[in-house]
Amino acid sequence: MNRFEYIKAPSVGEAIKMMNSTVPEAIINANKGGAHIVKAAGVDLLDLIKEGVVSPDRVIDLRQIPGLDKLNFDQQNGLSFGPMVTIATLAENKEVYKNYRALHEATAHAATPQIRNMATMGGNLMQRPRCWYFRSEGHHCLKKGGDVCFAQKGQNQLHAIFDTQICPCVHPSSIATALVAFDAKVELSGPDGKRNLLLSEFFTLPEANVTCENNAQSKEIITNITLPVLKPGTRSFYIKQGQRESYDWSMGDVAVVLEMEGKQCKTARIVLGAAAPVPMRASKAEALLKGKTITEKLAAKAGELAVEGATPMEHNHYKIQLFKTLVKRSILAAV
Amino acid sequence: MADINKKKIVLPLAPNEEFGSVKHLNTKKIKLPHGIPGHNLTEIEREVSADEPPALAVNDQLSVVGKRTKRIDAIYKVTGAAKYTSDIQLPGMLYGKFLRSPHPHAKIKSIDVSAAERHRGVHAVHILSVEPGGAVQRDNGHDAPAETYHVDKLPVLRYVGQPIAGVAAISDKVAREAVQLIKVEYETLPFVVDLDEAMKKGAPLVFEEKVEQQQTGGDVGGEAGAGQQGNLRGPSIGSFYGGPRGDVDQGFNESDIVVEGEFRTQVQTHCALETHGIVADWQTNMLTIYASTQSTKSVRNDLAELFDLPLSKVRVITEYMGGGFGAKFGAGHFGVMAVVLSKKSGHPVKLMLDRKEEQTTAGNRPNSQQMLKIGVKKDGTLQAIDLTSYGTAGIGLGAGVGRVAQDMYTCSNFRMAQYDVFTHAGPGAAFRAPGNVQGCFALEQLIDEIAEKLNLDPLAYRDKIDQSEIRKVERKKGAEKFGWKRKQPGSDSGVVKKGIGVAQGHWPRIIHVDSSATVRINKGGSVEIMSGVQDIGTGTKTILAQVVAEELGLKAEDITVKIGDTTYPDGPGSGGSVTAGSITPAARNAAYQAKMQLLGQVAGGWQVEIADLDMEKGEIFAKSDTSKRMSFVDATKKMRTNQIMATASRPDDYGGFEVGNAIGYDRLGSVQFAEVSVDTETGVIKVDRVVAAHSCGRPLNPLQIESQINGGVIMGVGYALYEDRIMDKETGYMVNANLDQYKLPYSKEIPHIENIIIEQYGAHSSTDASGIGEPANVATAAAIANAVYNAIGVRIYELPMTPDKVLAALQVI
Amino acid sequence: MNNKSSNEEKKAVSRRSFLKGAGVTTASTVAMSAGLLSFKAPETAPKRPPVLGPGDTEVRLEVNGQQESVWVEPRTTLAEALRDHLHLTGTKVVCDRGSCSACTVWLNDKPVCSCMTLAVDAEGSKVTTVEGLADGDTLHPVQEAFIEYDAAMCGYCTPGMVMSCAGLLKRNANPNLDDVKAATSGNLCRCGTYPKVFEATLAAAKKM
Repeated sequence: MNRFEYIKAPSVGEAIKMMNSTVPEAIINANKGGAHIVKAAGVDLLDLIKEGVVSPDRVIDLRQIPGLDKLNFDQQNGLSFGPMVTIATLAENKEVYKNYRALHEATAHAATPQIRNMATMGGNLMQRPRCWYFRSEGHHCLKKGGDVCFAQKGQNQLHAIFDTQICPCVHPSSIATALVAFDAKVELSGPDGKRNLLLSEFFTLPEANVTCENNAQSKEIITNITLPVLKPGTRSFYIKQGQRESYDWSMGDVAVVLEMEGKQCKTARIVLGAAAPVPMRASKAEALLKGKTITEKLAAKAGELAVEGATPMEHNHYKIQLFKTLVKRSILAAV
Repeated sequence: MADINKKKIVLPLAPNEEFGSVKHLNTKKIKLPHGIPGHNLTEIEREVSADEPPALAVNDQLSVVGKRTKRIDAIYKVTGAAKYTSDIQLPGMLYGKFLRSPHPHAKIKSIDVSAAERHRGVHAVHILSVEPGGAVQRDNGHDAPAETYHVDKLPVLRYVGQPIAGVAAISDKVAREAVQLIKVEYETLPFVVDLDEAMKKGAPLVFEEKVEQQQTGGDVGGEAGAGQQGNLRGPSIGSFYGGPRGDVDQGFNESDIVVEGEFRTQVQTHCALETHGIVADWQTNMLTIYASTQSTKSVRNDLAELFDLPLSKVRVITEYMGGGFGAKFGAGHFGVMAVVLSKKSGHPVKLMLDRKEEQTTAGNRPNSQQMLKIGVKKDGTLQAIDLTSYGTAGIGLGAGVGRVAQDMYTCSNFRMAQYDVFTHAGPGAAFRAPGNVQGCFALEQLIDEIAEKLNLDPLAYRDKIDQSEIRKVERKKGAEKFGWKRKQPGSDSGVVKKGIGVAQGHWPRIIHVDSSATVRINKGGSVEIMSGVQDIGTGTKTILAQVVAEELGLKAEDITVKIGDTTYPDGPGSGGSVTAGSITPAARNAAYQAKMQLLGQVAGGWQVEIADLDMEKGEIFAKSDTSKRMSFVDATKKMRTNQIMATASRPDDYGGFEVGNAIGYDRLGSVQFAEVSVDTETGVIKVDRVVAAHSCGRPLNPLQIESQINGGVIMGVGYALYEDRIMDKETGYMVNANLDQYKLPYSKEIPHIENIIIEQYGAHSSTDASGIGEPANVATAAAIANAVYNAIGVRIYELPMTPDKVLAALQVI
Repeated sequence: MNNKSSNEEKKAVSRRSFLKGAGVTTASTVAMSAGLLSFKAPETAPKRPPVLGPGDTEVRLEVNGQQESVWVEPRTTLAEALRDHLHLTGTKVVCDRGSCSACTVWLNDKPVCSCMTLAVDAEGSKVTTVEGLADGDTLHPVQEAFIEYDAAMCGYCTPGMVMSCAGLLKRNANPNLDDVKAATSGNLCRCGTYPKVFEATLAAAKKM
């Protein structure tokens, strides 16, 4: 763990001036040094620093910036929350439970009770993958600017079954699975002002840039997250399967948002977590449900379609069956 | 004495051989309880030393022993006041940190520590020439630190994490920084970390030459003189229970049914919450050590030998320690390094391993591949058992698994061949019921297969072939509590299938005679017991208080327990479930002798015979004249001296030993029942319920015994379903060297556990107690495996039973 | 045992070589602890907050109702500040990564991992450690129940476990078994005290 300077940013504007790198940039430019990076609660950052994966020169704290920890919900605008809102705050929010059930389930099943009390949603979306090679000081992998992906020939039981060719790390945020299913947007603030984009566009595949998981620029921070108002009759659910039922990372997780009219499904959004380097829409499965009455048989068929085209690795064939099941069960639980 | 010197008598013992049995000046005959209350309790006469206390009645006639007694040190644990080794802070104390090998196999071409030495806040740097006490984990009763290799001045690196050099600095962080400043040039060499790969011809050799090192795990496999070919060492064909029996081939020829299977178990790491570590304070007159250890004396003995110090000049203190499970014996490489750095720097040095070091270098339960074959007659009689096993303890030894197959059921034809396989991985260490846990997973599944072939209920079949009286009672009581009802395998309809299973375990009744305690009665009535024995979380402090209180007619809370310090008489190491059976007889005997001294003074004062006096409920009274009565406290106020004190040691078992000076007659039996749910669509297994029926001789404190049984079961759940050291074959690293990806059971994985504790008297000693640590852990994984088979109708032969294996067994993937 | 004598000579040699080793002792006149590492004075610019560290900086903490001040580097975790600087060693560090919750303390009455919290980040919050849970000599009901039901074995997970369970009772006076399991779902106990922890916590809730 390296020594670093610490400063509390008084405002978003100041924070943007103070920072000069994202965490991924700080990692691949480690030999240059001089990285000034932002942190929220710092749970993932501290983990990376302790492992020697990143060694910032200066850490800029965002927690005290006024307004970043606000949460609002109303029927006209939907849900919006700042990046400093903790996971526990979302998990315990009654409106979230009532209106965005899948998000409630995802937040309530994330990490440990202790971490949920500390970790923020901004940090959750920006955290780095849990791949054990990426997290190991002894493995200089593609994601850290090296030239090998150790997971390709190595222990890949927890890795992706889609988009595995370059770097099969799965996205570490299981909450993102639910957020993408709700068409959540993130607001990014940078030197040139703000931009809003869908979370599904924010996350990027390794082919875009293997060293990071999103397109946040060097001096950009997430300043807001919004979920649209849902059409009446929308039902959602989320299931995460870890090796353990107690605190665990996801082996596979699925979020389902169904717009229902009576017993008929008008539209469906189905997202797979821990299946690909980004939360992945299961478009064929979504298309299948459109305009149909949900039955167990249909849900099972959706499960099959959801894993179509998967390219499992040596040790994770089980994920195919797992996702089939989770998709089926999430659909049935949602309606 | 003088005569012996003059006559040069040739002693009938080899130079390193210790004296065996002990003769007593005077003996007496006493009658002791023997057997199982409610089943076959009787009395047995034993001839014992004349200074032994009278026989202790069965538990229901006692007032403190055998009663649920609150842990006397719990208050310090729940308030955070308990000081563990990791909590020790001494004036001027430095922090030690290792540079460790980043390669699984390499030679060091050059090493430059100058930048580390110059780093601000660094006080001492030391490069290891060899790795003492570390490459080989220590075991009970091994008195000398072993060393495995010496190549020039610098060690050959044989696993990722092997220590190279140590640094002492003003903080843990500064020490870490300095470690990173050490420049090493490595010559990397081919390596192998996988069991199967290591056995192949032409596999990279872990050791070029034949190595003789102590076995790691208290189990067979690494015995001296065994053959070595490639990375294979063995076979070992026996255990302390003896060697092969009968004619196995003929046994199979005469069998009507033969079952066989290949079973595999994984490497399990201990994951004690407090890591291995030591605080060393080298002073000219005394080396003081705070150690997180299961044996204070093993640490003292190691360091005294290595640093050429008399035993009297090394003091080891373990007031509280945060779990060991078998891996914490001896000084360890960290302990030796801490002492060197303390000596070099002139400061106390604390060297606690971090979690990654703990996972990779501090011990593990070796894995196993077991080919087990059993032949039976039509009536179920066991005709032949044949076992071949391979397992790796990394660079260490001790991967044997055969004792359960050899000893649990009577079978006149038995043969085993056990091989250790060297790999470039951290050394194994003893781990809660070493060998038996692995062996039980195989044996108890095959026994179930036989029962099925014979169309017998698994319990009924075990009734037939199992000679153990204690397990007979455990099966009966366990089945009642569990509500055991035979169920067709795979008969549940639905996606989540329930299943039930049972498995049995056994563990020898081991004690260490090198176990002593002093009891001191002070004026004013305070009573102390002192011993070097340590409490590793099992409750040793409390059972010592109970035993002394029972003898003196006091309450457990009246006794001050001072243990975990080699200043006091040596206690046993706490491993192999030896502690209760070893130290409580010494404690009772010392209490009895101190009591006799006090009663002697009272008898003198009251002008009665000592034999007429007794102590009960805080009072001393004359049996012949109950008006003669005085409180214990008042009596001590009249003592002629400020203190009365007696020291006693563990005598040999009253009935002698079955093997050596440690292994007693009869066994600690266990029978565990499990109920599981298997989700056939996800492959996820959940253990819903466990009924665990156990014996541990005379149960001293059922409250603590329950806790230990729970702990054994939960560890077994982890072993069965979750835990696995995952090695990357390409780079030789353990990829889950943390508590995040190394999966242990947490709150929601805990089944509903019910305990049955059976009193079993064997007239072994003045307390007749035994331990429960290992027995609690032996049968769980096997019971779960049998329950999984019962649920889904397909057997799983490999641990841990993770979703991928379940789905593969169900042929879903 | 058998090899003891044959190894004797080898051992003696190697023992010497080990003890001799290599490397030197640096002069122990180097100053210890605080003051060794340079302290950067806070910048005085009016609006910009000060840059702290990388050397020791003053961190003010309210711990168990006491105002404390420690001089630590910004990289120092709350767990380290409590243990190494305030000598409150009840809080344990086990995984050092937020996976085991042995380091649980309350920050403004909410259980958090002190190993994954920077000390400087705890400024302005109320810190409660296991040492501050009892009311003088009167133990917290969870502590009482842990003793009564034998919920502490080796005791190393116990402070974290106690803080999780007492934290639960603060939020939920009438928990069921599932609530207790959820509250401790991040707490690792290797001895296996879970069943007794559940029993004790439910019993404590009834008493409160």
